[in-house]
Amino acid sequence: MVSGPSLPPRLMQAALRAEEAAVAAGLSFFEVVFEMLDAADVNAVAAYGGFPTRYPSWRFGMEYERLSRGYDWGLSKIYELVINHDPTIAYLVRSNSVMEQKLVMAHVFGHADFFRNNAWFKVTDRRMLERFDEHARRVNEHTARLGADRVETFLDRALSLEPLMDPHAPLARSRTAMARQGSGRLSNSLAERSRRELGRLMGDGDPDRGPEAQVEVAGGRPTFDIVRFLLRHADLEPWERDVLGIVSAEAEYFMPQRMTKIINEGWASFWHSRLLTEGLLDASEVVEFADCHSGATQTAPGQLNPYKLGIDLFRHAERQGMDLFRLRAVHNDVSFVDAVLDEEFVRCSSLFVMGRTDRRGGRKIGTRDPAQVKESLLQSLSWGGQPRIRLSSVDDGRLLLEHLHDGRDLKLDEAGEMLRTIETLWKRGVELRTEEKGDGRRLICRGGELQLLSTGNGPVPGALPAAEGERESA
Amino acid sequence: MEKKARPRPERETLMAREIYRMERDRARFKDVVRGRIRRDLRRYLSSSDLVGKQGDKVVSIPVPSIELPRFRFGSSEGGVGQGSGDEGEPVEGQGGEEGQGGEAGEQAGEHVLEAEVELEELAAMLGEELELPRIEPRGKDELLVEGGRWSGVRSQGPQSLRHFRRTYRRALARTIASGAFDPDHPVVTPVRDDERFRARRPAPKPESSAVVFHMMDVSGSMGREQKEIVRIEAFWIDTWLRSQYESLEVVYIVHDATAKVVDKDTFFHLRESGGTKISSAYELLLDLVRTRFRAEDYNIYPFHYSDGDNWSARDTDRCVTLLREELLPRVNQFCYGQVKSAYGSGQFKKDLDLGFSEEERLVTAGVSDRSGIPDAIKAFLGQGR
Repeated sequence: MVSGPSLPPRLMQAALRAEEAAVAAGLSFFEVVFEMLDAADVNAVAAYGGFPTRYPSWRFGMEYERLSRGYDWGLSKIYELVINHDPTIAYLVRSNSVMEQKLVMAHVFGHADFFRNNAWFKVTDRRMLERFDEHARRVNEHTARLGADRVETFLDRALSLEPLMDPHAPLARSRTAMARQGSGRLSNSLAERSRRELGRLMGDGDPDRGPEAQVEVAGGRPTFDIVRFLLRHADLEPWERDVLGIVSAEAEYFMPQRMTKIINEGWASFWHSRLLTEGLLDASEVVEFADCHSGATQTAPGQLNPYKLGIDLFRHAERQGMDLFRLRAVHNDVSFVDAVLDEEFVRCSSLFVMGRTDRRGGRKIGTRDPAQVKESLLQSLSWGGQPRIRLSSVDDGRLLLEHLHDGRDLKLDEAGEMLRTIETLWKRGVELRTEEKGDGRRLICRGGELQLLSTGNGPVPGALPAAEGERESA
Repeated sequence: MEKKARPRPERETLMAREIYRMERDRARFKDVVRGRIRRDLRRYLSSSDLVGKQGDKVVSIPVPSIELPRFRFGSSEGGVGQGSGDEGEPVEGQGGEEGQGGEAGEQAGEHVLEAEVELEELAAMLGEELELPRIEPRGKDELLVEGGRWSGVRSQGPQSLRHFRRTYRRALARTIASGAFDPDHPVVTPVRDDERFRARRPAPKPESSAVVFHMMDVSGSMGREQKEIVRIEAFWIDTWLRSQYESLEVVYIVHDATAKVVDKDTFFHLRESGGTKISSAYELLLDLVRTRFRAEDYNIYPFHYSDGDNWSARDTDRCVTLLREELLPRVNQFCYGQVKSAYGSGQFKKDLDLGFSEEERLVTAGVSDRSGIPDAIKAFLGQGR
């Protein structure tokens, strides 16, 4: 099940061989469609998140500038793009060598298998191509009717709020829906267990509390799904609701990819390496392969490369006799790291916790203690690397948000901007509770005015968060 | 088993449409950047963000606030790294550049975007923001037409300008072509048609060239912050004048008790100490204006920055005399910017203001801190001279 209408015969042959090897190894996937693109066009497609039609936004232009500059300056190069879709769409870059294309194809089949079989992707819409098209059409209609400025301003606000969602909610909703249909199969599934595991890991209170409880907000229960809450309860014009809904749906579609970067890239790298070295490579290509593979999995000092970390974790798991296919079916980055990473791995991979940044911005090796390394890694991965912001209640029309503080302070000036944005949608006051250097803080936004109080209602020594436009460059 | 995919032409139109749309999104992005710079121009005017970032035609501008706001962690401390080394050792080779993939799961720190803006466009924004008039170069008749260079060739001219080599070459070619050339008797006789003469190439129009002199007092009382202010001002002044003249030369002069011409880098970083004799700079300026940058050839813009402390009243008198008799008649406009310092008395500006209250060509401005820079620039360039 592979096709490539724009592939030259030689590559088509390579694709068929790679598919054969992938299937023989036990991978399973939807039909894979290969597309050939020039390097510049790949940057454009990548900037659009892999989908040919998106609504108009300057942010895509910005992303394109960033990618094409990286390419022009030789800092980064995109080898391939794989889209979670049925059929799975994979873009190849015309300038790749034949060996690189072989590697990329094997890598693509790894991703395609992951997209199809990982629990977090089961609930994503695999027919997004048409939906993105439809979204773009609707935004363009609003723009034609209301003017570009109005729609863009609102779209930017919506995009700013986009991360305020519960990454676990889609899975939870689908489970609820299935339970309602009388099929409780999923409730005991691996995915469900993984979700609970995750909840426990992140100290998210009672793991038995059903996710449905969090989805229903109006009753005063806390929720992380702030965007969905606003969609349902904020006083929005119909077109605003439509745009916010579009942004929310697209964010939901991309969310699993953010939560599975290490495991997904690790899985694909594990398989490209295995498939190529066990048959797909010509003897003459071995050196080039080694060069290319090591380039993709190299680590800059002090940084983590998800390709490297992921492939090493899978190899480690294999040595421990774990079931790799099961790992890829149930885990996201957090639970995967938690399940596989052990003392030996930390030692063999020379992992360390970054120490305090000194005044000149240099960083040093903090500790190599395995427990601390693991904890720090899990923390940085949890919740997709984002601060966890929860809507705890609606008090007299005012939204009360709560930052679940895990030792890392928020950037308060930007948080203030966020409150302003939320307020323009909610139209009534918004308050955020967080901590700063261990002290409780209340950041309040009313009528566009920001106020920072300590929890005891007293004023906070020091400056208020800067107003819009006055933010200092860092 | 191969399934027929979508027919190819349709896909190709899809792709083509997308690339067209990317052009639109990019254009919009550039608009957004411009809008942001315009909005924040006053801030850029008094910050050193842009200084030193200009290339030949473009400036790269850090646009920190262009990304949408998000809830973010305040510091990028912590996180996990990979590599050799003992605990406590510094992590090597951090370029701050995003590596492949970046740090797992962590926000990629402060994402400062650099946008490139053409100098000309930046100047236009500056002009708009400060409502600067276009500069009217001094009238043509005031400027002598320069001699130009004898680098051209033409077919007519006086014998004294005959280009021997060109003439001979043509004659030789003609002789060979006609078959009359005899290698044993290599006689070549040029005829009228072979003759070529040197000709003058027109020089760039004199009224379109300008020279800027940045003179700075580097005596002990001018501190780091004072120099920074000078640096920022000089950048914007250059940017504006560059947009007004086809060619702009910039000369940097530093002085304490003596003056010398230095390169740009030295100008901004040198720290001298000692007394201040402003006349030394003005004399050096006069020397340059008399010899290399003559008023007949250039529009001349001297800028002098100091904290206003001069060595003696006698030297100040000397400066006033130099200005009145020698410099002001030769320059388009003379600007004096007085940067407030902890030690400067600020007397020099008072003296100039007193001595030249009637003189339009002398402009003075006081800058007490960075926020005063836009007003000083406006005072200097707002005359349209």
